[in-house]
Amino acid sequence: MSDAQVAEAKAVEPKGPAKASLFSRHENLTPLSIFIGFIIIIVLMQLYTQGLHKYPTFISPVNIFNIMQQVAVPGIVSVGMTFVMLSGGIDLSVGMLASLVSIIVANGISTWGLGVPVSIAMGIVSAVLLEGLMGFIISRTKVEPFIITLGGMITFQGLALLLCNSREVILNGELDFIKKNLIAGTKDPVTGLNLIIPPYVLGFFLVLMVGGLVLRFTKYGRRIYAVGTNRQAAYLAGISVKNTRLSVYLISGLLTGLGAIMLLSRINTGIVTLGQGLEIDTIAMVVIGGTALSGGKGSMLGTLIGIFFLGSIGNAMNMLRLPSEVQFVAKGLIVIIAVSAGDVSSRFGSFMARQREKAQVRKNAAT
Amino acid sequence: MGQILQLRNISKTFPGVKALQDISLDLNEGEVHCLCGENGAGKSTLIKILSGAYQPDEGGEIVFDDRRVTLTPRLALSLGIQTIYQEHIVFDTLSVMENLFAGAEIVAGGILNRREMRRQTVEALKYLKSGLDPDRKMRELTSGEQKTVEIAKGLLFKHRVIILDEPTASFSSAEIENLLEIVQAVKQSGIGIIYISHHLDEVFRVGDRVTVLRDGRKVSEHPMEGLSKSRLIKDMIGRDPSTFYQREKVEIGEPVFEARHLHGNGVQDISFVLRRGELLGISGMTGSGRSELLNLLFGSEPLLFGEIRVDGKAVRHGSPKSAIRNKLCFLTEDRQNTGLFLPQTVAQNVAVANLVNVKKFVVRPGEEVRRGDDYVRRLNIRTPDSRTRVVNLSGGNQQKVVLAKWFATDGEIYLFDEPTHGIDVGSKQEIYQVMVDLLRQGKAVIMVSSDLPEVISMSDRVLVMKGGRKVADLSGAEITEENILTYSIGDSAI
Repeated sequence: MSDAQVAEAKAVEPKGPAKASLFSRHENLTPLSIFIGFIIIIVLMQLYTQGLHKYPTFISPVNIFNIMQQVAVPGIVSVGMTFVMLSGGIDLSVGMLASLVSIIVANGISTWGLGVPVSIAMGIVSAVLLEGLMGFIISRTKVEPFIITLGGMITFQGLALLLCNSREVILNGELDFIKKNLIAGTKDPVTGLNLIIPPYVLGFFLVLMVGGLVLRFTKYGRRIYAVGTNRQAAYLAGISVKNTRLSVYLISGLLTGLGAIMLLSRINTGIVTLGQGLEIDTIAMVVIGGTALSGGKGSMLGTLIGIFFLGSIGNAMNMLRLPSEVQFVAKGLIVIIAVSAGDVSSRFGSFMARQREKAQVRKNAAT
Repeated sequence: MGQILQLRNISKTFPGVKALQDISLDLNEGEVHCLCGENGAGKSTLIKILSGAYQPDEGGEIVFDDRRVTLTPRLALSLGIQTIYQEHIVFDTLSVMENLFAGAEIVAGGILNRREMRRQTVEALKYLKSGLDPDRKMRELTSGEQKTVEIAKGLLFKHRVIILDEPTASFSSAEIENLLEIVQAVKQSGIGIIYISHHLDEVFRVGDRVTVLRDGRKVSEHPMEGLSKSRLIKDMIGRDPSTFYQREKVEIGEPVFEARHLHGNGVQDISFVLRRGELLGISGMTGSGRSELLNLLFGSEPLLFGEIRVDGKAVRHGSPKSAIRNKLCFLTEDRQNTGLFLPQTVAQNVAVANLVNVKKFVVRPGEEVRRGDDYVRRLNIRTPDSRTRVVNLSGGNQQKVVLAKWFATDGEIYLFDEPTHGIDVGSKQEIYQVMVDLLRQGKAVIMVSSDLPEVISMSDRVLVMKGGRKVADLSGAEITEENILTYSIGDSAI
């Protein structure tokens, strides 16, 4: 190598490793480390439950289908939350909005006698309108989304209580078609138990897939990332920042409405506690999936991992018969550990990348 | 009059730049010493050395009251050197009095002695002939009144030196008058003042001595008496034009963009015509409304009055979105914060502005990467491929990504705000070449720049701005450093 070539190699090298290594491409490693943790937990659970005869083992079709049913509602809301958080916002109101929608729909069916389709439509439309109202304020003013949606959460709780006179509204299975088993009679070959796939689980997967495709393959998805990354630059690049920020709340409203109806059909009762804590679960799922609170970073694939990670841990803790108090502590710690582990691993990643660069430069200098 | 402060052979080197070279300067009691020089002459660096924010290079020394000192911000303040920067640093929810005594409250047994503080405040304000109420909240004051409060602080704490950096920027003429009187009053009390201003008439009104800086060197020092404005301007310019970048000339065609009597965003009554193949330079001192004009042209600030025409048709762009549809491109000065999406890839950054023109709802990431790679090759962006995140590129390469972003929109009219700010010499030349290539393709360029040689070597015409207005429209042989500076800092009296 001539001197000039050496100089050139030195000049070019510090700009990052030329090969697309995992670490240079993925600065945010949260989903990856979560995924690894996920596999470890599954294996541990499997080993633990294998010896027990009373329960189905962890990795058995019946339990996997079970997990899907458990995560479908927070999952579908998480899809909306992913849109909101990628755009740089947050939505604390989804839990109470779900409660409100469930009470509107339950009332529509059993008290006001509007019939199932009209009641469902009414529930979803009100969810979209209410979120739209918050989105309008958020996108047109400088008030933090945190505050607006916190106010929304409290307001929706009050509205829900007013609409049900602080009592529960009981359904007689009018919404059972949403949870009807599509593969009735199919038995799990391992345990011999009945397998259940209701339509709402399929609906959840459909929404997740469409959400992922929209984010990755549409103009609209690009705009959300741009707005979440740098609002001023997005505005100067001709993106309507206001409308983009408004739209994510409309999506969140639509999906929260759908989630609320799924939840209502599972529980058969419209009650104000129905959506309690839903915002916590969904935000945790999205964050565990690697979406940054500051916006612009993350993906639907990450959210998918986050949904199933938290869902399976909840399921595992149920199987282990842990009391719900302990489950809360465990879930909270998992969020903290998972997200900081992601940060630590990405720091480790960039540290390794720097080391490799240094070694490369030294090697070039030596030759 | 005793000497307070002396700088001997001060130099300051930043990586790759000599900001100051061998500057010597002194200040006497009760004297106003003015500093003049165009943008980037080294005035701000010099102030930062005096306030202790920067340490000078080895070899220079600072003497204060006949003692050699190594200034730190804390020491500078305790010696009584007060720097009043262009931007106000005030607690705007606190009162005048609370601002004056912030951090140095008069206390008796841990309890504020408000009566004594008020007495001293009133006394200081009275000396400055200011009728300010000590209990008014800072945010209710005009910028002129806020500056008065800061100067009062110097009196109150018996400071020895007050440094005023462009004190009258954003002032009304009555406020300027008021400030100049205050400076005179402060001077009478024996405080030495270093006064930095673009406005020569102020310098002549208030100064006792003036030092001219150019490219980090001291050019001259004059007593104010008997000095003429034209002499001062001659000292501020004087670079050799043959060292400027030699630009290839391009044939100038039809008008493509026209501004008629634009008002808004601090800009008043700006009109011009831009032709294909033409580069219009916009010059003027900081705060003269240059960037404000670009924002107005691009629709990112509302146009109050006036008309913009593209290709002869009147257009109304209320937002950057419609400006981009009208074939405008805006390369902002602060590219990291307003031009780029740093955590995203080169390909995504290149694609983003053109989303306005994309009709299809579906985008294909693979296609974006191919287009991105294409620009990486064409603009010689130093990166393995367009899937690299922009945050990992150097300044010059980031600027090229911004260029690629706008090329992708097929724009016709390019607005450049400080295109080579913070860019190394090699990349500068490449960016100049890119501009010339644009002109050759029949596009038109408007360039705002503080770099006079750049304006002179690149522009076919130069529009000089001052106080939000157009003060000159120079072309051909009229484009000289002297002309531009005369119009941008001087006044009609020259």
